[in-house]
Amino acid sequence: MNRTGNSAMNRANAGAAFRATLKRDLLISVKRRNDILNPFMFFIIVVSLFPIGISPESAMLRQIAAGVIWIAVLLASMLSMDSLYRSDYEDGSLEQLLLSSQPLYLLVFAKNIAHWLVSGLPVILVSPLLAYMLALPAEGYLTLVLSLLLGTPVVGMIGAIAVALTVGLGSRGLILAVITVPMSVPVLIFGTLAVQNSLAGGSPLGYLALLGAMLAAAASLAPVATAAALRISLN
Amino acid sequence: MSGRWQWFHRLGSPKWFYEKTTRWLPWLVGAMALFLTVGVAWALLFLPPDYQQGHTSRILVVHVAVAGTSLSFFPLMAAAGTVTLVWRIKLADMVAKHAAPLGAWFTFLTLASGSIWGSVMWGTWWEWTDSRLVSMLFQLFLLLGVISLRTAIENAETAARACALLSIVGCINVVIIKYSVDWWNTLHQPSSPISMEVGNPNGPEFWVATLVMIVAVYLFLAVSLILATRNEILERENNAQWVRELVAQAR
Repeated sequence: MNRTGNSAMNRANAGAAFRATLKRDLLISVKRRNDILNPFMFFIIVVSLFPIGISPESAMLRQIAAGVIWIAVLLASMLSMDSLYRSDYEDGSLEQLLLSSQPLYLLVFAKNIAHWLVSGLPVILVSPLLAYMLALPAEGYLTLVLSLLLGTPVVGMIGAIAVALTVGLGSRGLILAVITVPMSVPVLIFGTLAVQNSLAGGSPLGYLALLGAMLAAAASLAPVATAAALRISLN
Repeated sequence: MSGRWQWFHRLGSPKWFYEKTTRWLPWLVGAMALFLTVGVAWALLFLPPDYQQGHTSRILVVHVAVAGTSLSFFPLMAAAGTVTLVWRIKLADMVAKHAAPLGAWFTFLTLASGSIWGSVMWGTWWEWTDSRLVSMLFQLFLLLGVISLRTAIENAETAARACALLSIVGCINVVIIKYSVDWWNTLHQPSSPISMEVGNPNGPEFWVATLVMIVAVYLFLAVSLILATRNEILERENNAQWVRELVAQAR
């Protein structure tokens, strides 16, 4: 086979490998429901603690609602990330991914998407309900959901780098949080600013655009770093 | 191997580095002592009290120097990390390994000296609206992350490469964090006490003293990093012939 035919076939194979990885990870998640449910329940429990710990007054709550939901989302994704590559590492399928002839960053990207679909998306879907319980004014709902849609994948992809760096370690301890939290700060800042801006009657588009830019940057760079980290961790 | 790259690989040899720094260290320590003495004496004894801040402005001479130096750690570690990942030169990792804790100390000193100054000038030890305090805090977290990653991974080579990658990612992120925190604050508080620190309209006697102090602190950084790296070389190369001879001589 000539060269062009070869590369065309490789491209087709890469697409198939991407789809296969995505499908496999989604199937595994559906069969192992606790991994999805635990972070989800954690998110709801953390949010419900704030009115009790700070103040049940709705005047107070509406001011902090967006920040509380964003912080709870960050904590929940930290919890869900802990299991990101663990079972793949334990049963050896992670090594198979590394040995595959397909580009590793593409497969990593597929795993990122699958992980976000089962851990990020449910949390976002329930966030309007929790925002209502925290007395968020109506103008903020759409912006909150949009900012979460753009921001949570960024957090997930950054977290995946930290998970990949620590994948073989017995006790990870605080490393995951110490690495991921500072790197998530920009997302938190622009996510909450977007909501606050639309509550103040302004347009949140600028902040959402910045979040979108971060998503584009993270989607193109983070999987490459994650792939490199996996190769380092598994030698 | 082409001649252009020879110095690079020679620099990467621990033995070469050890021998060279043995010769450089007295000069570096001498220069450091000189600059440190001049800088501290100038700041504490001769600098006229600021018309607004009084004697408190003397803290700034130290604070600005330490703060400026602590910003150079992530670029340094990212550069060393690139060398580790691309050329697998062990010396780069030995430097990076000791740069992380040193950077954490410098960052801590920046925060501490800044909040001592702030406790007098702003009347508070901690101010979330000052973007630089906040971004320094997150730089400290990131450096602690690099340190804890290093201690968590047992295999030295894996740890070196993992920390190298994290330093590069961290270096990019420190910049993003810095700008987003800046933005976050300027939007809330367009005029904050920040301007007093940065664009201080003080005369040259102030900023020359600061400049001397910056050079002194950078020399201190170089000396500490070289000393730590030399220890690391002796520890890691303890089976090499030249290290054995050196130890035998010392006895």
